[in-house]
Amino acid sequence: MMPSLPDRRARPGRQAGLDKAATEFPEDVAAAAEAAAQAQRACAGGGQPTDEPWPPMRARTTS
Amino acid sequence: MSDAHWLTATEISAAYAARHLSPVELVRALLDRIAALDPRVHAFIKVDAEAALDAAGLAEREIAAGRSRGPLHGVPVGIKDIIDVAGLPTTCHSKLLLDHVATADAEVTARLRAAGAIILGKLALHEFAIGGPAFDLPFPPARNPWNTSHHPGGSSSGSGAALAAGLVPLALGTDTGGSVRNPAGACGVVGLKPTYGLVSRRGVFPLAFTLDHVGPMARSVGDVALLLDTLAGHDPADPGSVATASRRFGEDLGRGVRGLRIGFVRHFHETDLTADPEIAAALDEAARVLEGEGAHVRTVTLPSLREFSGVQRVIMLANPGPFTPAGCASVPGDYSASSRRKLMSGAFLSAGDYVSAQQRRSALIGSRGRRVPRRGRAPVRQRHGPRVSHRRRGGRGAHLSAPGPQPVQSDRASRRSP
Repeated sequence: MMPSLPDRRARPGRQAGLDKAATEFPEDVAAAAEAAAQAQRACAGGGQPTDEPWPPMRARTTS
Repeated sequence: MSDAHWLTATEISAAYAARHLSPVELVRALLDRIAALDPRVHAFIKVDAEAALDAAGLAEREIAAGRSRGPLHGVPVGIKDIIDVAGLPTTCHSKLLLDHVATADAEVTARLRAAGAIILGKLALHEFAIGGPAFDLPFPPARNPWNTSHHPGGSSSGSGAALAAGLVPLALGTDTGGSVRNPAGACGVVGLKPTYGLVSRRGVFPLAFTLDHVGPMARSVGDVALLLDTLAGHDPADPGSVATASRRFGEDLGRGVRGLRIGFVRHFHETDLTADPEIAAALDEAARVLEGEGAHVRTVTLPSLREFSGVQRVIMLANPGPFTPAGCASVPGDYSASSRRKLMSGAFLSAGDYVSAQQRRSALIGSRGRRVPRRGRAPVRQRHGPRVSHRRRGGRGAHLSAPGPQPVQSDRASRRSP
């Protein structure tokens, strides 16, 4: 049986560990998921897998 | 002295030296003004009147005895309520931290005290420096003193509003994605996001560790430089702090811009995120004025604003402070709707997304370094349009629709709100 619309909208939130929020604030969880997807799309591509992430790792010594 | 509330820190220091004004007189005048105006502006979360008057009395005695501590001695300052002041709550404008009392000063607070500055109180912000102006929090959102139906920008909303209303001559803000520069622009004051590592973040509630900065705010460029002189310096207790040579940040003020090379990133506001015509015209006029004063302004092309913004958002949302997204998972109703939506976004981002964004960040930093000359400048538009209404939306918060450029800066002020 096809899940109901509220169930379908809440599912990503539950998968992300936001069960309580998905129940109490399903619209906010859906908006959060969409905002994350937009940010992912905006910075997807263009990078090189060999690029050093920022900030670069720094070795430290202790005396 | 009438109108003492509009004096800059530089003018206050001179007035103290000339015995035209005393710290106690100034603090009393500001407390009176806060009592009269803040019920409409809502810039303050906490006014620490008693401690401020005590500190003013001490400063007055020291200055009278010829023991001046420098240009900030006896000058009042407001602190964004995300920065610790020992003995006062650091609420982050949130229900979750109403009873969270700081046991020690943040490094920046300690530096201000050592310089003789007077802590006047804690200033409003967007919840955890990430939510928007909201009406479902324990404190009302700050209003823009130029028009109290308008938003003062954020997240250092109280800092911008307090300066523009003449409630404080100096303020501290924090900036993770425009939170000093945005309210500075919206309120017509001056704000600076310092170079990462220059100012300690110890004792400042974190939002995104690799993006967080403490920034000085004031009504003049000279005052921002004075404030930065006091704030900057190595702090071994902040892992991001950098040891740099001591310098006076205002030493080049007044020397003009002749010979300064300025990269103008036109595509940010012309095509990437089309600016309001009023703002686009103001940017062009600024470029013309700078050229007229002898600066070399040339158009430069960077990666798209959308990419800068996307990378910043992934890093900020996936790299949250201690209350998110786990906090949203356990007590979602204790957050404002605005911050709840933003903070929960982090739950939908993976470690891989975060590392990819940090890799792309390196490339974006490199692209800016190649195209904007060393010691050059890149003026860009303000985050929002010229006017953003501060209207309620379903009783939950104001709507700010424009995503915006992160590197925003306001460098002209000294106007007075009506």
